[in-house]
Amino acid sequence: MIDVQLMGLLNATLQAATLLFIAALGELITEKSGILNLGVEGMISVGAVSGFITAINTESLFLAVIVGVLSASAFSSIHAFVTVVLKQDQTVSGLILTILGLSLSSLIGKPYVGKKLEVKLESLIDIAEPSNIFQVLLSQNLIFYIAILLMIFTAYILKKTMFGRRIEAIGEDLKSADSMGLKIAKTQFIATCVGGAFAGLSGVYLTLSYVPYWTDGMTSGRGWIALALVIFGGWKPYRTAFGALLFGFLEALGPRLQTYGFEMSPYIVKITPYIITILVLVFLTIIKNGNTGAPKNIGIPFFRENR
Amino acid sequence: MNKYILSKKLYRNELATFYSFLIGFLIALAVGSLILFIQEKNPFDVFSLMLKLSIGSVNSLSNSLNKAIPLILAGLGISIINSVKLWNIGAEGQIFMGAIALNFVYINTSINNSQIYILLLLVSGFLGGAFCILFPAITKVLFGVNEIITTLLTNYIVFGLTIYLINGAWKDPASLNFPAAAYVSESVYLPTVLGKLSSGFLICILFTLIAYYIKDKSVFGYEMRIAGGSELTAIYAGISAKQKAFFAMLIGGGFAGLAGAIELLSQTHRVSTGISQGFGYTAIIVAAITGMRPIGIFLVGCLFGALTIGGSVIQTIGVSSYIAEIIQATTLFGALVAQFFFSYEILKKDEND
Repeated sequence: MIDVQLMGLLNATLQAATLLFIAALGELITEKSGILNLGVEGMISVGAVSGFITAINTESLFLAVIVGVLSASAFSSIHAFVTVVLKQDQTVSGLILTILGLSLSSLIGKPYVGKKLEVKLESLIDIAEPSNIFQVLLSQNLIFYIAILLMIFTAYILKKTMFGRRIEAIGEDLKSADSMGLKIAKTQFIATCVGGAFAGLSGVYLTLSYVPYWTDGMTSGRGWIALALVIFGGWKPYRTAFGALLFGFLEALGPRLQTYGFEMSPYIVKITPYIITILVLVFLTIIKNGNTGAPKNIGIPFFRENR
Repeated sequence: MNKYILSKKLYRNELATFYSFLIGFLIALAVGSLILFIQEKNPFDVFSLMLKLSIGSVNSLSNSLNKAIPLILAGLGISIINSVKLWNIGAEGQIFMGAIALNFVYINTSINNSQIYILLLLVSGFLGGAFCILFPAITKVLFGVNEIITTLLTNYIVFGLTIYLINGAWKDPASLNFPAAAYVSESVYLPTVLGKLSSGFLICILFTLIAYYIKDKSVFGYEMRIAGGSELTAIYAGISAKQKAFFAMLIGGGFAGLAGAIELLSQTHRVSTGISQGFGYTAIIVAAITGMRPIGIFLVGCLFGALTIGGSVIQTIGVSSYIAEIIQATTLFGALVAQFFFSYEILKKDEND
């Protein structure tokens, strides 16, 4: 009996972690190039609602995933245009991207509130009651494995390929990157749109698998937790994955506390992930003495002074 | 090679922010029209109805200005905090906390003189908002913890706390379907001044002037700007940047808390989830679009209040109220695009260069 509960907890942890991790990984790529995008929450929402609507209307999951990812990516290009091309304030633009994304998805999702999804992302191998850790790992759906692949790819691309080294160079030292002749605007634009695509995938995971329906504000701050995760992971993919597992575990643990004999108001349980995120962020910043390892040029627009 | 180069303009038009706002608003109306058009509604009809029902009569105008109060106060708070180049994304939570603190004081005290009581309740709302940002402020100045994330996450915590209270300790047994705290006594309602316009609007005007004074005229405001500008300059000038940041955050949080208190005493008359409908987020747009200028925040706040009212009334003809939110957010995006052309110019490259 305990085992079934434990496996249930593990399963829920992996699902919550996947959702947070994909969005965080996308933001990591964007921030590595020196662009801060606070619009994660809005982009997840746009991906979630467009994926959901596509799934309802076409009953094709493949199409739903593609539409969700592409629409969130297209949506993030607003931020890329305003901050990279027009060099406007990244904080303002990102915040408005979140507000716009949430209201836009509420608008287009309104007729779909309460509708039930006929198709749902199923696990690849159907195991009714997983009894050990491998069975839990095997019973995840496709996006979980895509997330793992994305993690390995991203880590490899950032560290080992020219493209990744360019992104890092731009994020760390704009002037040197510019004098080396790197295409700064192009790279930052791509990195922002890739971040949007990842957030879209996370959103699709939310509405097609995690909670297979659509309601207003269902992203409930996950985009912001993803932003905190990037800081937690020190802008490193594997460490961010570890952070996602930790945060996912805490999110999964909350509703289960009662079964382990802890009496807690469900309203208080609901806010624990946010409290813990703040506490972890504070703790981490203290032990790192304020130097969290952020790319040096984050938030600074590139402008080549003409003389 | 590139034929054109980008150059920063040496002189920026003084009214650039204002013009950018106008351009942004026009762009937003165009985008709004497009969305309405797709939804097979006549944009002209919808907008004229919005206009009529938001500023067409004394009653609707006072409704609009009442909605403007929280937008303006929270926006002013954000602008004060931005003087030290910090962001307050937690105004939504501070508004709720202001209402919670007010109710806490209201339950535990009793004063017969209703004017003094109202004053005490407003002050407790202000302190509630300040309390709400205390933790992000302390961790920011002591350890440099990212205040954007901490203030934002506080919103979810305070909203959860509100739901916890109105379903538990403060639950009004008489309110069955809609969980809420008990109503406050009619004696502490904020009086109306004109039509339905709450006297909270007068407080709002007063605080706009106070914010203007703090930011632009006071020594504290001057020191805040230096502290936010450059760490080295602040050190040379003997200004403790951390101290300024700390107090700026508390004051700014207090402004939003006051908004929650006024909302409770003039609109909802009790703690419920309806204390704020995203005012704290809209306030970010209001503050950012005006370049953090108090007088501008007041004016744009009034306009956005009318937009919000307009957005809620057009639901009766089957148009989603989110149109208003989308117009607000798009206005800022449009303004950012316009700002670019006021700050930069595109020059043709000299052949001999």
